[in-house]
Amino acid sequence: MTRILDPTVRAGKVVGTAPLAPRPSRLAGATIGLLANGKSNGMLLLERIAEILGERHAIAEVVRVAKTNASVPVTEEEAEPLLRRCAVVVTAIGD
Amino acid sequence: MAAAMGREREGIDLDDPWQAIEACYERGWTDGLPVVPPTEALVERMLASGPWDPDQVLLHEPARDRAVTAYKAAVNSVMAGCRPEYFPVVGAALTAIGDPAFELHGPATSTGGAALMVIVNGPVRRRLGIHGKANLFGPGFRANATIGRALRLVLLNCLECHPGVLDKSTQGWPGKYSLCFAEDEEGSPWEPLSVARGFRPEQSTVTVFAAESGHNVLAHGTRSPERLLTLFAETMAGLGSLSPGRSVIVFAPEHTEHLARERWSRARTQAWLYDRAWRSLADLKRAGKVEPAFLTNPRLLEWLYRDHPAGVPSPPPDPGAAERITAEDRTVRVHRGLGPDDILLCVGGGEAGGHSAFFPSWSRGRSVPFVTKEVPS
Repeated sequence: MTRILDPTVRAGKVVGTAPLAPRPSRLAGATIGLLANGKSNGMLLLERIAEILGERHAIAEVVRVAKTNASVPVTEEEAEPLLRRCAVVVTAIGD
Repeated sequence: MAAAMGREREGIDLDDPWQAIEACYERGWTDGLPVVPPTEALVERMLASGPWDPDQVLLHEPARDRAVTAYKAAVNSVMAGCRPEYFPVVGAALTAIGDPAFELHGPATSTGGAALMVIVNGPVRRRLGIHGKANLFGPGFRANATIGRALRLVLLNCLECHPGVLDKSTQGWPGKYSLCFAEDEEGSPWEPLSVARGFRPEQSTVTVFAAESGHNVLAHGTRSPERLLTLFAETMAGLGSLSPGRSVIVFAPEHTEHLARERWSRARTQAWLYDRAWRSLADLKRAGKVEPAFLTNPRLLEWLYRDHPAGVPSPPPDPGAAERITAEDRTVRVHRGLGPDDILLCVGGGEAGGHSAFFPSWSRGRSVPFVTKEVPS
């Protein structure tokens, strides 16, 4: 009998254990955040999603944030308006 | 060590080695080639060959919050086929690609399909048989093949960079299996790359680079440094890979002989190449290399107009200017990179043959820097 060891890892303490924010039951009147990864078409995709959310759910405002560097996590400074103002944040990568 | 091994000893029990190889395939733990089954005994030997505690984090990738411990690095190094004594080099290379400046998430996942180039300098090259002469990028050398492979297996297994899922390489290239080689310091007319990067000759180092596929620079017909380097500058200025990013040139010994004869220093060669590796802004526009989005990006505008006497136009050009070629555009030189230091020169290859290599950086932007780390002894 041979035991072979698992080479994989799981997400660490930030992604792995951060509790999910409570899910809102409705979007009407909610401020929606759009977080694009900062590549060419991320915001394009998100704008369309915001448009659809507007048509279907009567959302209030839209806060747009595009990362300046797609290779690194969102900075606290970039995340601040999303945390402060938004009930829901939609994120997307585009290329 | 015992505690960490006990805690992390998750694995699977199998009857024979062949079954173990197949089990690794079934779980998606390979790069497509068979792996050495990572048994506990082999992993312990690997770990014992490095200076790290099993729980020590060698690489943390912040975008997805994945930490690679020495233990997981050892499991993947066994699978790659590394001998235990290679482990300090693998660990140093993981530390290098995990340097925050390297921004690993980009080259690990981008459509650009970067390979992780590892250039090894110092005494460890000879001690481990890391090869820097004939066919240094090709098959035949266990240390070269398996050290680079260990990095790729870490990306696949620990960072989940599975092809087409998180690793979105449009095409990728074979260097992604492994791209590790030694500098031929003995064949170089210059100080070793590691010394040029601030280390002492007796220190062993790894220098990492996120590389697109290499381009052979074929020159048999000249002994003149200027004529020879013209070929390199022309290759670097190829529009396909022209960007504000970095370059690696691995000079074949035959080519460095011509530079050495005329006493061309590394710095002079870098400066000469930077000065001549350019295309006009008109050329870039003609080939669609100026995207409308570039004209709203301050860093890319700075690159495009770096050499223009008037600097970046104010107000910036409208997006339509990306395709509008003016008379002035024919006079604006757009260089590969932002300066001579963006061109890394080293030496490697067989004694015979006028074949060197140019490797452009990954990405149409600035890409990530060269990072050098010491290999622990």
